[in-house]
Amino acid sequence: VSPAVIWENMASVSEMYDVGWEEMRDKLRKWREDNRRNSEQIVDVGEELISEHASKLGDDIWIIYEQVMIAALDCSRDDLALTCLQELRKQFPDSHRVKRLAGMRLEALERYEEANKHYDAILQDDPTNTAARKRKIAILKAQGKSTEAIRELNEYLDQLPLLFISSAAFCLEELMMTNPHNHLYCEQYAEVKYTQGGLENMELSRKYFAQALRLNNRNMRALFGLYMSASHIASSPKVSAKVKKDNIKYAAWAATQINRAYKLAGRGTKETKYSVKAVEEMLESMQITMS
Amino acid sequence: MLLLKLCILIESRQLGVDIHFSPETMPIQLTSQAYCKMLLHAAKYPNCAVNGLLVAEKTKDRKKDSEPVLCVDCLPLFHGTLALAPMLEVALTLIDTWCKENNYIIAGYYQANERKKDSRPNQVAEKVAARISENFSDAAIVMIDNSRLTMSCFEPIVIIYDHHENKWKSRDVTLDSFEDWSEAQKITSALLEGRSYENLIDFDNHLDDLRNDWTNPMINKSVLDLC
Repeated sequence: VSPAVIWENMASVSEMYDVGWEEMRDKLRKWREDNRRNSEQIVDVGEELISEHASKLGDDIWIIYEQVMIAALDCSRDDLALTCLQELRKQFPDSHRVKRLAGMRLEALERYEEANKHYDAILQDDPTNTAARKRKIAILKAQGKSTEAIRELNEYLDQLPLLFISSAAFCLEELMMTNPHNHLYCEQYAEVKYTQGGLENMELSRKYFAQALRLNNRNMRALFGLYMSASHIASSPKVSAKVKKDNIKYAAWAATQINRAYKLAGRGTKETKYSVKAVEEMLESMQITMS
Repeated sequence: MLLLKLCILIESRQLGVDIHFSPETMPIQLTSQAYCKMLLHAAKYPNCAVNGLLVAEKTKDRKKDSEPVLCVDCLPLFHGTLALAPMLEVALTLIDTWCKENNYIIAGYYQANERKKDSRPNQVAEKVAARISENFSDAAIVMIDNSRLTMSCFEPIVIIYDHHENKWKSRDVTLDSFEDWSEAQKITSALLEGRSYENLIDFDNHLDDLRNDWTNPMINKSVLDLC
């Protein structure tokens, strides 16, 4: 059993391993930073932390209330969600952020009209509040009102510089502009371009996979993506001999890195050896299509 | 509670009798392992769409037309965004290679949609299934009906779609759609209650950390132990 697995089950074995409140608080922080949505575990750890160690948490407690509340909504624990919300309301009575949480709780209870009222109140006060606008779109989506959702989305997008065509590309481009160091957005954008298809998009896709790798050289999706996009370009009849040669080089480099990554991962474990073999065979079979 | 279960069983059987199976496609059957891993995947990501592949043992030739295709295992693919091409291509190629090693063939595709009340196959499902059909003509789509996912698993919550006359049509799921329904029900329920889904690995998890094994050997062992 890998350490990762034990750590993931920490909440249920907290008694067994006698984990202290500091570890629990740190774990919650890590899950926040990693943007994890492992709601059951967050509820287990968070509920215990709040009920037994609240006084020790200092100002961390407010962000923990928020994190636990959202997780509680996921697990249909409205009792816990309400407790967290009430504490937050007491501490931050005029906060838009808390109002948004109140709205999310109403959404979870499928009281959509009331939720919308909360969001409208925020938007009246602050029309640029994108979080509230996104929740309104999410409600329309949940209600199956796709035409209205698209209309709301377009109104939201009207506020952004309109330079591009596909809506997924839209959102990602905006995200990349405001978060240029985020390798995940870069990589996802590359995937969208790849999916859109066509030689030009494939070349863009390869460039963005390469960029994602520059930002994080361990992003496996970017590595695979670079391999796939370069391979597709190299096998296209429309490209010049030079472009073909360059892309074969990129693909070969990516293939070496992929193989290396698998060998590293497979060290000492019998189970992943077929994975290594499978990857080698996959890369070999694609070499054939490129030549 | 037992009486209720009995009524449902009888009703399912009766529905089974009324269905006209088209002679063009053979029905698929699910083993307990295949069924429970699909549900564990859906349970692990309740707020996302999930999808994956079903594999069957490769046979040299089809003996009888009436013999169903037994899907012995399921390979969970993605959660959240299902519609992006590159990782799907990687997964299909890798899994294809793995299948050759194990004398399996990709026989089906499963999906659980994001919205609870929506269990029809969408464009993604149809595209992947079309791709699978290139190598396996009787490929099926299995949709998981999220709205009926419960811990007790008292009824099967999948809808099976076959390709007829260029359209995907649903067939009613009966107990014959399972190799052994009561075993599948017992195992799935036990694993859901034990929160085994927390340890289920899909291809997305594998891409996050290559050490994560998408064949799920530990869960396979748990299934075997419960048989």
